[in-house]
Amino acid sequence: MTIGVKTVHRPDHEVSYLRATVKGMALTFSHLFRPKVTMQYPEQTSAPDWTISNRWRGTHRMLTDEQGRSKCVACGLCPQICPANCIKLVPGEDEEGNRYPLIYEIDEFRCVFCGYCQEVCPEEAIHVGVHYENAEYDRDRFVYDLERLCAQTHPVSTLWDPSDPKGE
Amino acid sequence: MAEELVKLTIEGVELSVPKGTTILEAAKQAGVLIPHYCYHPALPVAGVCRMCLVEVEKTPKLQIACATTVVEGQVVKVFSDQSVKARESVLEFLLINHPLDCPICDQAGECELQDYVFQEGRARTRYSEFPKRFNPVEDFGPDVLYVPNRCILCTRCVRFMEHAAEEEVLNVSERGDRAFIGIHPDKRLDHPWAGNVVDLCPVGSLLSKDFLHRARAWELDKTASVCTGCSQGCNTNLDTRNNMVVRIQPRANTDVNRYFICDHGRLSHRWMNRGDRIEAPLLSHGHELTAVDWDHALDRAAQIIKGCSGKGVALVSPGASLEALWLVRKLFTGLGLTGAFRVERVKGESPLPGVPGLALREERAPNATGARLLGYTETFDEALKTVEDASLVVVLDDALTGVSAETLARVPNLIYCGTVLPDAARGARVILPLANVAEEDGTFVNRDRRVQRYFQARATPGMARPAWWVLSELLQGLDRGESAGVAGDVFDVIAKTEPAFAGLSYGALGAKGAVLPDQATAGARA
Repeated sequence: MTIGVKTVHRPDHEVSYLRATVKGMALTFSHLFRPKVTMQYPEQTSAPDWTISNRWRGTHRMLTDEQGRSKCVACGLCPQICPANCIKLVPGEDEEGNRYPLIYEIDEFRCVFCGYCQEVCPEEAIHVGVHYENAEYDRDRFVYDLERLCAQTHPVSTLWDPSDPKGE
Repeated sequence: MAEELVKLTIEGVELSVPKGTTILEAAKQAGVLIPHYCYHPALPVAGVCRMCLVEVEKTPKLQIACATTVVEGQVVKVFSDQSVKARESVLEFLLINHPLDCPICDQAGECELQDYVFQEGRARTRYSEFPKRFNPVEDFGPDVLYVPNRCILCTRCVRFMEHAAEEEVLNVSERGDRAFIGIHPDKRLDHPWAGNVVDLCPVGSLLSKDFLHRARAWELDKTASVCTGCSQGCNTNLDTRNNMVVRIQPRANTDVNRYFICDHGRLSHRWMNRGDRIEAPLLSHGHELTAVDWDHALDRAAQIIKGCSGKGVALVSPGASLEALWLVRKLFTGLGLTGAFRVERVKGESPLPGVPGLALREERAPNATGARLLGYTETFDEALKTVEDASLVVVLDDALTGVSAETLARVPNLIYCGTVLPDAARGARVILPLANVAEEDGTFVNRDRRVQRYFQARATPGMARPAWWVLSELLQGLDRGESAGVAGDVFDVIAKTEPAFAGLSYGALGAKGAVLPDQATAGARA
């Protein structure tokens, strides 16, 4: 049994796409004569009227002391505060009896970039960074170990200051 | 004779306490914790830290609560402006030379200095331009490190060594701001009970080398347990982190160990985390062992037991719970049972002289008394000679050290229940994996016939289950009992059926345990 299909006959000016095309192209081409708002990323990463905020919270960076060792003392506060449970820390003791992290790993995939680790760090060692380019060929590469965290060079994030809420 | 009571008011709470009580102890009863460092209920009062200063009405000066006894009609103000200000000043003095290295200090999180400074201390220092005193870390003994910088000179450790351990190794050397805890130049802090100074230290000045950097205090879960080191049955807390027991601390029980445990018990926690455990029930197929599920294993075990007649031998461990020992005995209903165990003995007790009746005992097992009360005898070697003639042999968590595989290979029906699988037990027809003491609930009976409960601190590995579950399921399969839902079910049946344990109940044992009545022991001995 066939289904009864009702055919609607519309007037030509309603059916033709010509009018809509011309209208659309007119809008497109009118943009050629307007001021540019885009940026040539990745060649260009900031514009005179736009830079990334220094409060941007991106992938982490571990700060180091003058000898190039990480400032981390393995106190365990960042894994404790981390809401995403993405920091793995195993403390150890070096030759001088100082506490230091034997293993310090951050899973950047799990991280929610809340910045609590930076806020809680008593040694100002771990920071979230002003950095957002994170392409890798391998998922495993997103678990940053201590060496990699120390080797990061991007600027670190400035945390929100309640006494200066707008960062002025 | 009724004790003479004194009525007083602490922080607006009226209470009556026995004459001679200190204000600090009375305040505890009123629900007020007066901050203190040098005071410890197990040590003589020193009154050196000045932290417990409180205002007592009608006395001109503030009083130290730890050394002031209550007086009729006294009105104590713990949190008045004057006393809070005094304690704030004391804390400021303590912090002048304190390194504030909480991030790397093992005590952080359970530090009384941290707590009280947070509670009543100043927010900022007024001494920032002066350098802090610095002394290097000292090695005091086999398990104790001394970090002088963090020390607040409460002298608890000095008094413990003098009055409890009665071995005067520590003192306060130098004076004034140079003072530190000194150790006898020719001696080390190697008393068998010396580890207690680490617990007594209110700050992170005395540290356990065993626990150094292993965990932060806030990561630990504490579970009430009983020490398995000897027959004394000291009450302990098992501190676990990520399902690993990382530390054993004493749990206060004034009837057994007061506030202390010996170093032997303190350090014996590695075995609780061992990885080479039996993780599934195993059945023997020819010379092969096959992992099966519990239903199969228990069915097979029940079949084997049903088919047995004649003599039976149970080789049990005095480290097994009372419940497990009783259930094993019940497996042999209708068979002639020889129940035997062996105890590791180490010559010479190591007492803590300041606490009468407390020592590291020669008998290094927690439940030998319980095994004896249930009719097991210390005749392991004799019993082992008779296993060949036995129709059924059940081994309960004995490590079978020194037992040759050939001896057990000649046993027709061997059931091995245990935590790890010794080579000698590979010939068993059924192998049932059990939980160890940190992984199950249960009870031990110590040498003073005190029945004490211990609790599960970590998860069992694989399919291992507590002995009370395994054996009660097995007995249900034999129609000789009901399967137990919790360890207490088994205990309550023991209390009903065993005259020695009459009148006890698992729930009523509580955290402190209960001593078995005298006539019961007389009956058991007879």
